[in-house]
Amino acid sequence: MSEGRQPSDNTGASQGWAVLGTLLAGICVWGGVGWLVDLWLGTTFVKAIGVIVGAAASIYYVTVRFGK
Amino acid sequence: MSAIILASECPPDDPGFCSPTVNEFFPPALTEFTLLGVHFEITRITVIMWVATAAVMAFFVLSVRRPEMVPQKLQWMGEAAYSFVRDGIAREVIGREGLRFAPYLAAVFFFILANNVMGIVPFAQISPNAKIALPAMLAGLTYLLFNWVGIRSQGVGPYFKGISFPPGVPKPMYVLITPIEIASTLIFRPLTLAIRLFANMFAGHLLLVIFALGTVYLLQVGNFSVIFAPVSFVMAIVMTFFELLVQILQAYVFTVLTATYLAGALEEAH
Repeated sequence: MSEGRQPSDNTGASQGWAVLGTLLAGICVWGGVGWLVDLWLGTTFVKAIGVIVGAAASIYYVTVRFGK
Repeated sequence: MSAIILASECPPDDPGFCSPTVNEFFPPALTEFTLLGVHFEITRITVIMWVATAAVMAFFVLSVRRPEMVPQKLQWMGEAAYSFVRDGIAREVIGREGLRFAPYLAAVFFFILANNVMGIVPFAQISPNAKIALPAMLAGLTYLLFNWVGIRSQGVGPYFKGISFPPGVPKPMYVLITPIEIASTLIFRPLTLAIRLFANMFAGHLLLVIFALGTVYLLQVGNFSVIFAPVSFVMAIVMTFFELLVQILQAYVFTVLTATYLAGALEEAH
């Protein structure tokens, strides 16, 4: 994705979808890692931590990328 | 409207409303054959896709068959349609380099548009994009194209480095961000592209079927509820126009996102 160098890449729709994709990916990837850790250790709480960490990381990244 | 609605699963002695089921999307095969060990079923939805594709091809072929300096009406429409995608999407989103992708983007846009609009064309009234196979194939094409363009214009290493390590993030954060970016670019992009189109067409079809069947049911129910039949009928009409809007919008969104991904694949080059 671009950094807004192009004149009209900043159309609301494509940015919105990019944000959504990033949030989804964050939650799924780190939630998935937590789920695997849970399987491995026989615990249940790591997936919740994973989801929260993933959500936080992706929100952070969205603010870095789009919060200009 | 109800003439082409497929049989629902209600028992014949059930007086209640028979809601449409997912069987709407699995009509009986008109013909089937096996080719190289793969089983093919030609259903009415397949035929609708052929008709939509043939219509787009006929429109563009006819519009440029006898080009003139002062365009006739059909030629003018064809040119306006193509330049909408070329100037409005390819040039606007990607920039000057986008012009060489204009044919692909125009083909994608008008193929999806024609197939979507089949959802409200009388006697067809279901979009081939309401089955996941077609959106998945289109999203797969876009996925292959933007990755290939990225690798070609930047080289394998820089392209995947650009995806994995986006600029503007402090180094320690890459531990968290890199897996997210890789997943969002290489997994969630094609997934959301396909599902967005599929789900919109799927839900739109069910919405129209609900109100059409509701009208018929309320007319036949034989009690006070019959006064609500016109409401359901009006809703079916209103929702048909609403669906037209959704169909155009989804074709546009798919094309714009394809262009955005292409722009991203080209961009990090400089």
